[in-house]
Amino acid sequence: MRWSALPLNRKLAAVALVLGAGALFSQPHRGPVVKLDTRELAMIVEQQVDHVTPAELAAWIVEGRADYRLLDLRSESEFASYHIPTAENVPVSALPDFPLQPGEKVILYSEGGIHAAQAWMLVRAQGHAAVYTVLGGLDGWKEEVLFPVIPADATAQQRARFEQVAAIATFFGGQPRTAEVAATAAPGSPALPTVTTPAAPELPSMAPPVAGRTAPAAAPKKKKKEGC
Amino acid sequence: MMTPLYKYGFFGDELSLVVAFVLGIGFGFCLERAGFGSARKLAAQFYLYDMSVFKVMFTAIVTAMLGVTYLGWIGWLDLSQVYLVPTFLGPQILGGLVLGVGFVVGGYCPGTSAAAVATGRVDGMVYALGIFAGTFAYAEVYPSIKAFVNSNEMGQVTLPEVLGLPWGVIVFVVVVVAVVGFWGAGKVERWIGSRS
Amino acid sequence: MPAHTPDPAHARPGSAYANPYVAGVGLGLVLLAAFVIMGRGLGASGAFSSTMAWLVNLVAPAHAQANEYFQGYLGDGTTHPLKAWLVFEVIGVMTGAMLSGLLAGRVHLSIEKGPRVSTAIRLLCAFAGGMLMAFGAHLARGCTSGQALTGGALLNVGSWAFMIMVFVGGYSVAWLMRWQWR
Repeated sequence: MRWSALPLNRKLAAVALVLGAGALFSQPHRGPVVKLDTRELAMIVEQQVDHVTPAELAAWIVEGRADYRLLDLRSESEFASYHIPTAENVPVSALPDFPLQPGEKVILYSEGGIHAAQAWMLVRAQGHAAVYTVLGGLDGWKEEVLFPVIPADATAQQRARFEQVAAIATFFGGQPRTAEVAATAAPGSPALPTVTTPAAPELPSMAPPVAGRTAPAAAPKKKKKEGC
Repeated sequence: MMTPLYKYGFFGDELSLVVAFVLGIGFGFCLERAGFGSARKLAAQFYLYDMSVFKVMFTAIVTAMLGVTYLGWIGWLDLSQVYLVPTFLGPQILGGLVLGVGFVVGGYCPGTSAAAVATGRVDGMVYALGIFAGTFAYAEVYPSIKAFVNSNEMGQVTLPEVLGLPWGVIVFVVVVVAVVGFWGAGKVERWIGSRS
Repeated sequence: MPAHTPDPAHARPGSAYANPYVAGVGLGLVLLAAFVIMGRGLGASGAFSSTMAWLVNLVAPAHAQANEYFQGYLGDGTTHPLKAWLVFEVIGVMTGAMLSGLLAGRVHLSIEKGPRVSTAIRLLCAFAGGMLMAFGAHLARGCTSGQALTGGALLNVGSWAFMIMVFVGGYSVAWLMRWQWR
């Protein structure tokens, strides 16, 4: 069947199907300017459903789950010296251009959590709904997962539970510690300063995004300019 | 690529009206070429012996959809800057139903009635008058139906977002459904044609 | 079923209509141009709203400005309501349609109707249809041009729901209205 012998309609259909198949590989280009649904975002922040605890993340990694993308927002050198296993390095400045599939679950972390929280806002604003931050960031990871502490006066039940936590810590190359050991500097591990509760990530106040063009002074907010 | 041009400040409101006029010419030209200035041809869609409305509409949709997909892919169009009419599911479902009825009763839709008026159809002109009257009536009752009109607001949502599937997958499905639909439409036309 | 079934392709003197797929591609390209140049799609019903708002404002300004729906199209008075994108676009539609019609010899005063219905009834139905259409379009924030075509191409949820319902609505009353067309 020669191409030129086909009737026009068949050719059009063939072209359409080929282009449609090609579209399967496409990614819609998202420009840098975004729209924010402030009410929706405020609610999510308040309900705190945008977090993932270090312990949960550790469990997923141990299970071998592959349904998420873990992004480390720090610099390359920081990433090279240590990063949570399965993480990818995406410095904050590279985040807007970082391609993400619409359905993907994205987990962000930074050193403490401020950058992660800010990046969370950026990713959500791009229309990506399944994005979370690691509660406490890398600090939280060190504290909860790598170097968990069991108090000296723990009950038998608490000790039993700590067994599992300790096992996970060992799995990641960390070291479970008792309270006495934790009080002194932990040997041979990334130096831990005096443990203080990490500051809760503060979401910066967002000014409404500036439109792609400045509106001419004469154009009033008059009518449904963009209606049908 | 700094497109859409208007959104990136390449020209202002005055010139955009000229753009509107020129695009309208293209729009109206294609409508009339397809025969959509004729109520009989339009209504024929609903009697199955001429499925041109379906063919033209979905070909246009598929063309533009593939266009934005590919242009967006190579970065020649910033799709997030293209205006998406917010979804109000309830009113839009009812609106579609009422519009469909109006289509068969009147024989046109607003765009095609403009084409009809321009080619001398008196029924098109009367239809346009009907649209004006209906618009006035709607405005009058608007305060009482306002709550319904603004109900089921989902914001600006696309099928990929709601279905949780990649854009490209939805595009592919639409193309396949359209092509199969076109093949089916042709069959229906021939079947109806052979019966009468 | 009447013996005479009008053949829409040659229903009027003048040349035959174009291949619908070709016309569709043309229409799609115009729509795409609108996206790329303006960042918006096509439309039609909005132009009628603007015009109506302007008319009512001319005749009864107090009433127009007190009406919430019209007020939306009148704005704050700094720009003329007819200086709207859609108004100019619809004028373009008429121009383009006339152009195409003239080229094909399809422009003359006439009334589109089926063989069994009288002119008066047909015009009555046209008017009623227009009124219904107006309600539908304003409820849905657009018509087949603005919602079905534009929203369809952009995979807008509300537009696809609307589009499906248009066909549902049309087909459900087609049998009842067949005396007008067949």
